[in-house]
Amino acid sequence: MRKILKEPLLLVILLVILSSLGFFVIYPMVSVFSYPSIKDFLIISENARYVRAIYNTFIMVLLSTSTAVTVGFLFAYTLARTDVPLKRIFRIISLLPLFSPPFMIAFSYILMFGRNGLISYTLLGHRYDIIGWHGLWLSETIAFFPMAALIMEGVLQSISPSLEHAGRNLGATGWTLFRTITLPLARPGVAGAALLVAIYVLADFGNPIMIAGNFIVLPTEAWSRVSGWGDVTGAAVLTSILLLPAFFFFLFQRYWVGRREYTTITGKVTLVDMPPTRWYVRWSLFIFCTVVSILILCIFFGLIAGAFTKGWGFDYSPTLRHWQNILSFSEPLTNSIYFALIAALVSSSFAMVGAYLVTRKEFIGKKVLDFVTILPAAIPGVFFGIGYSLSFNVPPFDLYGTSLIVIFSMIFWNIPIGYQTAHGGFQQIAASLGEAASNLGAGSMRIFWDIELPLLKSAYISAFIVSFIRAVTTLSVIVFLVTSTNIVATFRILNLVNDGFLGQGAALTGALLFLTFLILGCARVLFGRKIELFRI
Amino acid sequence: MVDVHIRIENLTKKFGNVIAVDNVSLDIKRGAFTTLLGPSGCGKTTTLRLIAGLYSVDYGEIFFGDRCVNDVPSHLRNATMVFQDYALFPHMTIFENVSYGLRIMKLPAEEINERVEKTLKFLGLEEFRDRTPGMISGGQQQRAALARSLIMEPEVLLLDEPLSNLDAKLRVNIREELRQIQKSLGITTIYVTHDQEEALAISDSIAVMDKGRVIQIGSPWEIYYTPQSTFVADFVGVANLIKGKVRQITPQEILVDVGNQTLRVHNHDYQVSYDQRITLNIRPETILLSKKSPEGQSNVLSGKIKTHSFVGHFIRYWVACDDREFIVDLHDPSTVGVLDEDVYLQLPSSKLHLMPGER
Repeated sequence: MRKILKEPLLLVILLVILSSLGFFVIYPMVSVFSYPSIKDFLIISENARYVRAIYNTFIMVLLSTSTAVTVGFLFAYTLARTDVPLKRIFRIISLLPLFSPPFMIAFSYILMFGRNGLISYTLLGHRYDIIGWHGLWLSETIAFFPMAALIMEGVLQSISPSLEHAGRNLGATGWTLFRTITLPLARPGVAGAALLVAIYVLADFGNPIMIAGNFIVLPTEAWSRVSGWGDVTGAAVLTSILLLPAFFFFLFQRYWVGRREYTTITGKVTLVDMPPTRWYVRWSLFIFCTVVSILILCIFFGLIAGAFTKGWGFDYSPTLRHWQNILSFSEPLTNSIYFALIAALVSSSFAMVGAYLVTRKEFIGKKVLDFVTILPAAIPGVFFGIGYSLSFNVPPFDLYGTSLIVIFSMIFWNIPIGYQTAHGGFQQIAASLGEAASNLGAGSMRIFWDIELPLLKSAYISAFIVSFIRAVTTLSVIVFLVTSTNIVATFRILNLVNDGFLGQGAALTGALLFLTFLILGCARVLFGRKIELFRI
Repeated sequence: MVDVHIRIENLTKKFGNVIAVDNVSLDIKRGAFTTLLGPSGCGKTTTLRLIAGLYSVDYGEIFFGDRCVNDVPSHLRNATMVFQDYALFPHMTIFENVSYGLRIMKLPAEEINERVEKTLKFLGLEEFRDRTPGMISGGQQQRAALARSLIMEPEVLLLDEPLSNLDAKLRVNIREELRQIQKSLGITTIYVTHDQEEALAISDSIAVMDKGRVIQIGSPWEIYYTPQSTFVADFVGVANLIKGKVRQITPQEILVDVGNQTLRVHNHDYQVSYDQRITLNIRPETILLSKKSPEGQSNVLSGKIKTHSFVGHFIRYWVACDDREFIVDLHDPSTVGVLDEDVYLQLPSSKLHLMPGER
């Protein structure tokens, strides 16, 4: 503490960070909780729709989390521990959903497997309807397994192959080896992945709003409360219910599982050759990964086809009309890019400074800063959005319909991404580097600029890109905040699909996706392959 | 009169409830090579970092000359440090690393160039000037870290286990090199290590530390032959500790009862009294080992060889004498061959060192 008091600039920065977190994270949360009266919370059980939404959400968390983690584990195991052919291609395909808007998967599956679907109706002649809980289950599985796979692949890779060699040397083979050595070592990683996926499923708004139909879940019901009945109290109550389990999962993941897996997850990849996988295991996994990859590629195929097709389901003649429409009203698209770029820049810079303070300085309230900075990771997007609409749509902070309210929400919702990336980065930089510089005469600021920042460049860029992608693709956060004056692409797509303009919706989604990949490509070219994305 | 460069008085540092450095007082001579030696967690590195100004002092004072430096920031103490992991900035070349401190001082470019050239040449690093630390070997990195410190022309050089990341052979070579550099520059040096052999080989003076305290200060010779506690005897070198009780004191000799035997110990002005419980130490290489009972000698014990270990330039025997075990080193075993079974040990009375207390 004494040291930070000696550096007034640092103290000012610290106070600015703490107060903005208080204002943009804590205050909106309090606004949501305090909006309804106690009575509104007490009568939850009397409202049949609420009860159904709670029940449905619970079911979906169970179903989608189990399947997403199972699929993710099989993928991760295939990539990290076997010699299945085409591994590299499977990896790339499995990462694709991470870059797409959350609702895109559901949207595309409607195009492919819906009542007028290309595969279900046009090719197979079935009036099969994917809309409902089963469609949601499929979409969420495909949407969230990549994150689980990414985490578990890291964990599996960090398990030194010599442990398996040792197991083999003592007589364990095949299934026994997997069951007694590999799986137990991977268990904390699996638990961590499951909790993270559960949070995503809980908070998922994009998929259910597209594909769930009458199957209501908490986030969509909260939205229809506001959009249909103007019932903000109901929405606040519903999202508050949502926050509790999300918060619990988050705490559990971070403070219990997180601690257990920490040492293993940082391990480096050991390149000891692995014995060949048994042929039936290899080919089963190959077939499995192929099927899942086809399901992912379907999304992109459906989307692109939809964007160039006159009338989906009855007239498949090609057209550019949808693109003309998109370009003639390009405001949502430019807004999206513009807001997300600003938000990502501010968010990752802010997070970087916060992480620097927490990892390198001693001060009272350090734990609080650390906690509040990662807190938004536990907050479902709809809750965050309602919080902002309640807090900043009224005087004295009236930002109603402005770009600012959208940008601020994107900045603070994505803070944990940049923070965790930077925090990990700082921890990897040996503290002795800073001490050596200080011993040679560098002050705090000089150390930050000369030593820490250059070494964190790649971490910073990764954080920036992930924040950008999340900001540009988010729907849940901004759905309560946009009006005609600050409309963004994702919201526009939702309206287009709801109104039946599937082609235009597909074209706009495609344009959004194209711009995202363009920016990603630029970063790759500019900064090389060092950047690691989605290292959460 | 000794020229004290750094004086440490009652220094204490706590981390939470853990007392890392406990009331340490120490004088460090100008131009000398002083080593802080001790097991890990003994507080030696913390002491060094307190001297460097990387930690703030809780209690006590550190003086450089007459000036108390407690509140002087690290870089104004004119004491540069070489870190255990070298702490070379991975994104800078060797030139940029070495010149870093000068660049912060905003010296003119020509002067920086000149000094870096000189320092790199002095340490044989010219050819690595434009490489990054990842591209050079461990020994070269070690030298680069040293260069980065020496270029500041410090009054005090602080070295935190700088050799621990090197392999055994290189460690010995660089150790000698380091000693030569220190001697030629005459720079006051404080060196931290847990390796007792290294400490003996390199130092003018050794401060042995344990549990945050300095246990003994002295020359390597004193530390090795006249340890003042069993901890020091045992930590530095190999000790044969024998517990006993003083039976008789004469100006020449002290007789010590050890079990059912009496040992004669040469009296080096030991401050002991009759009946006092004491511990004797004898180094393995000073014990005489023979197959036949030595005639007319005192301090002879009979024993049985339990096992041996051949190390090349000596052979080490573990010998059981009654309920006691001795470690005995015989040099140049090639002339005698490997001994076994019954043997006689003779403990020269001048080589037995007496320490008060039984611990």
